[in-house]
Amino acid sequence: MNDLSVQFHGVSKRYPHFSLENIHLELPTGSIMGFIGANGAGKSTTIRILMGLVHQDAGTVQVLGHAMPANQAAAKLDIGFVSEDMRLYGQATLAWHMDFLRPIYPRWDQSYAESLARRFDLKPQQKIKGLSHGQRVKAALLLALARRPRLLVLDEPTTGLDPVARVEVLSELMAALADEERTILFSSHNTLDVEQISDQITFIDRGRIIDSDDKEAFLDRWRRLRLLLPPDVVLPRLPGVVDVGGSGRLPVLTTNRFEPAMVSVCNDLGATVQAVDTMTLEEIFVANVHSRREQLTA
Amino acid sequence: MHSGIVISQTDSRPMYLQIMEQVKQRVAVGDWAPGDEIPSIRQLAMDLRVSVITIKRAYLELEREGVIVTQHGKGSIIAPNPDLSARLYGEEFSEHVEKVAQLGDLLGLSSEEIARRTKEASSRLNEARLTKETV
Amino acid sequence: MNYSMVRSLILKDWYFQRRAILLALAGGVLSLGVVALGGQAGFTIGLILLVTIMGLISAITVMGNTLGERENQTLAFTMSLPISHLEYTTSKILGNLLIFVPFWLTLVAGCMALIVVAPAIHGLFAFTVIMAVEILVGTCLMIAVALVTESKGWAISAMVTANLAINVVGYLVAHIPGIRNGMWGTAIQWRPAATISLLVEFALIALLLGGAFFIQSRKTDFI
Repeated sequence: MNDLSVQFHGVSKRYPHFSLENIHLELPTGSIMGFIGANGAGKSTTIRILMGLVHQDAGTVQVLGHAMPANQAAAKLDIGFVSEDMRLYGQATLAWHMDFLRPIYPRWDQSYAESLARRFDLKPQQKIKGLSHGQRVKAALLLALARRPRLLVLDEPTTGLDPVARVEVLSELMAALADEERTILFSSHNTLDVEQISDQITFIDRGRIIDSDDKEAFLDRWRRLRLLLPPDVVLPRLPGVVDVGGSGRLPVLTTNRFEPAMVSVCNDLGATVQAVDTMTLEEIFVANVHSRREQLTA
Repeated sequence: MHSGIVISQTDSRPMYLQIMEQVKQRVAVGDWAPGDEIPSIRQLAMDLRVSVITIKRAYLELEREGVIVTQHGKGSIIAPNPDLSARLYGEEFSEHVEKVAQLGDLLGLSSEEIARRTKEASSRLNEARLTKETV
Repeated sequence: MNYSMVRSLILKDWYFQRRAILLALAGGVLSLGVVALGGQAGFTIGLILLVTIMGLISAITVMGNTLGERENQTLAFTMSLPISHLEYTTSKILGNLLIFVPFWLTLVAGCMALIVVAPAIHGLFAFTVIMAVEILVGTCLMIAVALVTESKGWAISAMVTANLAINVVGYLVAHIPGIRNGMWGTAIQWRPAATISLLVEFALIALLLGGAFFIQSRKTDFI
């Protein structure tokens, strides 16, 4: 059994106004990866390539051991996919969808589907077109989860959900991971959710992966150092500084290669470290993108 | 197994530290006795809706500090160490004392001033306890 | 090719168009009833009714289940099933043809029966067969264009073309020497010209449907 559920190697896709370049991605089995990027950064395109819905121009894609898009039918038997722009058949009921999918997926769990319907507060006999947006998202998730897939691919699963529904959905996603052979890839704007439940995090911006690491490593590496510089002291040169903010005597350094030793280095150089702030994933992402875009324009 | 641990989203500390602190607190107050089984990494991840990797890290650190012991393939238990409470509280106390000294220094307080303020806080605590006992 | 998935997809499409299909079937039975009423009037009206229903139902189902997927944004759901373009294309072509063909066969059988029974119009046999297959070619054109372009504009153009083609082709075929001679006669005859015409038509059908498969297999953006 492959250690990696998903593997992208040098994947590129070119459109007239946008291109994905040299995408490398590795998703270990049993883990959950959060995929963060601005609108139009390429999250959806990457996910569609993963699902075989879009063919890459270059590079190889392996999903659950199958080459995509060549073997997409076999791969999709083990994948549950929900995307923001996906719609179910409005004329039909949720129950119809469940009955439609059941004979297709060998691991379909009807009792799990029914208990999810109860927990998500969905009435199977209701027509899809009569559901609110949040209910439709939950319905689509139910249908994806009930087939007990080895890989869940979710494009913005919590967007548009009210806070209560979001917690329900996150709980179900985490519960699905109780099986160690199950993997989840989800893209989201909601950095709080990503920060909380992801094992791995990948940042994408303007068609390129700008960072990919284990979540704790991210949170460990990035810090804001608030310094107090006496008038005659020069700003210390620290590794990985992507931004210098604050004022002349009270600079705030943002670094992506923090080590506790930095504090003593600063103090030794005469710059008092007033605080070492951790950064939220959102702050890290924004800092990362800004510094990268500045690099490109410089 | 319900852990009873509650994560606060507004707590700015890394999540694994919050989890570690809460585990240590439950040990300190006696909720979890030495030798007791605690939720497995996956179970706790599901319970708290927190990534497995974060729980793993918390458990690794807790094991390093000797608070818990992870038995291969059998989950984790509280370490059978009788002096746990005192040691855990002792660590926390030292951390806070350092912080008080730092803050006092930033505020420009002298050592005597810092000591006085600490003493006052302790007295207030004792008074409050006495009033509660007489009521 | 996963035949079980193709079957599921076809049944799914039929399920969503069940009302239109049932109405068309009822209409088909009605037109047969009108024909049975007898007489030239009955036959003519019944025939026109049948051809109209055929035209309508194929337009409705093709537009509905092929263009509808993109319009209603259900394409992502369908393509996330364990299928490739092969099963998808097969289900759309087969699903639409299977609805259309029963009507078409009824029409052909009806016309054949009439011609065989009435010596006065025996000569029309070859012409009628060729035109009947021509209608089938038109429908295949519509299915292929709708599938490959996924555009309402193009699909409607194909429909209009198919309708116009009946007239144009009818005129052309009626003037082919091998067919024209004897068309108004009282003998059933089958000349080489007729065989060639049929072969051309079947070749067109193969080209249209094969071409659709080919183009679908080359698509790099299914969504």
